[in-house]
Amino acid sequence: MVFFRKVLGAALFAIAVLAIFLTKTVFAFEAFISNERSGDLISIDQEGETAYVQPICNRPRGMVKGLEQNQLLIACSDDDKILEFNIRTRAVERSFDDLYGAMSLAIHRPTQRLFVTNEGRSQAMVIDLTTGDTLAILPTGLEPDGIAVTDDGTQVFIASENAGLVHVFDALSYQQTAVIVTHLRPRRVALLENRLWVSSEMGSRVEIFSTETYKKIDEIIFAPKGFRSEQLTPVDILFDQTGTLAFVALGAANHVAFVNVKSLEIEKYILVGRRAWGLGVSPDNKSLIVLNGLSDDFTIIDIESRRPRINRQAGLIPHAIAVFAK
Amino acid sequence: MIKILVLCTLIVLSFAARGAELHISIVTTSDLEKPTRGQSFAGIQTQIERPVLRAAKLAVFESRTSFETHDIKPVLTTLNLDSSTEYGPQLASIHPDSLVIVDTPEDTFVEIAQILNQLNLATINVRHTNPELRQTLCLATLYHTIPSDRMYFDALVQFLIYSGWRKVLVVHGPGKADHARAKTLNDSLSKFGADVSDTREFTLSHYPDDRDRNKPEFITGGASYDVVAVIDTARDFGRYIQYRTHRARPVVGDVGLVPRGWHRTLERYGAPQLNERYRSFDSTAKLPASDAMSDAEFATWSAIKLITNSLNTMGTDTKSLVDNESLNISSVLEHPEAQVDLYKGTRGSIRRWNQQLRQPILLTTEDAVIAVAPMPKFLHPLHYVDTLGLDEPESTCQLD
Repeated sequence: MVFFRKVLGAALFAIAVLAIFLTKTVFAFEAFISNERSGDLISIDQEGETAYVQPICNRPRGMVKGLEQNQLLIACSDDDKILEFNIRTRAVERSFDDLYGAMSLAIHRPTQRLFVTNEGRSQAMVIDLTTGDTLAILPTGLEPDGIAVTDDGTQVFIASENAGLVHVFDALSYQQTAVIVTHLRPRRVALLENRLWVSSEMGSRVEIFSTETYKKIDEIIFAPKGFRSEQLTPVDILFDQTGTLAFVALGAANHVAFVNVKSLEIEKYILVGRRAWGLGVSPDNKSLIVLNGLSDDFTIIDIESRRPRINRQAGLIPHAIAVFAK
Repeated sequence: MIKILVLCTLIVLSFAARGAELHISIVTTSDLEKPTRGQSFAGIQTQIERPVLRAAKLAVFESRTSFETHDIKPVLTTLNLDSSTEYGPQLASIHPDSLVIVDTPEDTFVEIAQILNQLNLATINVRHTNPELRQTLCLATLYHTIPSDRMYFDALVQFLIYSGWRKVLVVHGPGKADHARAKTLNDSLSKFGADVSDTREFTLSHYPDDRDRNKPEFITGGASYDVVAVIDTARDFGRYIQYRTHRARPVVGDVGLVPRGWHRTLERYGAPQLNERYRSFDSTAKLPASDAMSDAEFATWSAIKLITNSLNTMGTDTKSLVDNESLNISSVLEHPEAQVDLYKGTRGSIRRWNQQLRQPILLTTEDAVIAVAPMPKFLHPLHYVDTLGLDEPESTCQLD
């Protein structure tokens, strides 16, 4: 009997160890969060532990992975520059300067071009990442924020918050090709196949447009329980790695929405921190990380079970996140 | 001989001459404005009182990309009325489709609003916070983009209740406006269940026998309270109450923690960009970093931006409205989807029953926004911000 108990105990222990081991390997990632008010970058792992805090620049905001595997590009809005940060050596390897009020970033790797919105200057810039040259300046409405470039590198979409417009440019000739009228305060743009998703922060919705006709196809209006429409202030939109789920951070409504990309049905609202806005998904498609801009923390959600797994402190005003495989 | 002296400047912003015209008219009566406006005794400036024109120009400046997209040509005019002759003929010169922003003293405002109502012109109150203008002056053409005192005080009292400061000592001035506003404050206090410890009236007299009413230490003595609420419309006496209260208690109302429509130190919701633009958009007349829109200026900016933003939110109706020689402002203001991005974290829209712009209220000190009302846990069944101000069932004005 005693022997049996010992065997059972050992077996359970082994299972527990294996479970922890599996969990760790399955979820393993390293993510970087830009904190706009504390001016630093924090490195977190899948358990939400902060490995280190790196002072980086004044008001770091938009981020995107660079051309090389270990590169992270960081927009420093109050320094008017973009830094190329090596996540392994933790060194700033390069600085692209005179990029007035650099805010959000989009990269087109095949042509090695970086697209950046210049918040206070009603424009976006196109930078050649190899030479550092400015290839074009794209005029937008006031307060340009979200920017996205199509996979084939032929079109770029830029949302202007104040103007309530998305400007469309031919990304080869840099000529404006269309202007899309959106609902109030368009913030972020996300592309999936021939659809453009635009979050309207003051319109409490996500609008979906065709990237061919620029006509509005549909919209998603959010309504988690206990909130009035005006409290829903969506910002980041992110698709999962398979393109079947869309995640939308609902800002002041303190929730993130899981949306079925095909049916546009809102499958789940998950409670997170205050003013949820930045989103990142792990390369293994297991974890969604939500940045909460008013409570200075982040929430890691298990995508499969659709439950928040961890909530931890970030820097001051966490803005953007980039997730790397470990 | 009736001599009509209309000073009318036309500021047509250079756009291609096609599409619908958007007429905005700013009506003032400069000969009725006191040169001492916003000043207390000895010429001490206690309140910002600027013409609202700069804010109107800012709103037009901000709207230019939208106007280009929707094919709209803005026409901003100013009409400074001559108070020595009839207002009717002077106001009749305003284009019939205009957005008329009225920035005059209150009694003149009432007269002008009634004439504009007869002329069927969409009229915006950007200056007067008196709740009576939303109750008894219930005109189908009249809109208010400046908050009412009731909205300001509801915001303040929500903050007091939220902070656990339930016992309130009310100190108010001797003027007619002070009495009326103290009554409005009382309505707000009872709406949210605060206790009034006592209500006291100050006097400016230094006569020794009046010391219970002219010394801050005495007027705040002999009572138990969590907070002192001061109503001092002229900013004569209230300024001296802070730091001299009998008990060490915070001061709120017209001094100390003040409810406002806009503030230069709001950090979130894009507000720093709007403040920066206000100071710098006119390169010939930049303002120092300490300047920001007053509540009247913000109300002016809000009114024009309500038109601009609604072009995006009215859906297919926008096209039919733009397909005219001029944009019919009343149709926009009456549209159920008329909305504005106010840079205060929540969009604004029109309350149908009294045509007040619903909006959050900032609770501010000199150099900080302490809170943005509605405060947490003050819930409304329909609209998030409708716990501020007269709700539909309480309103005697029922325009809907």
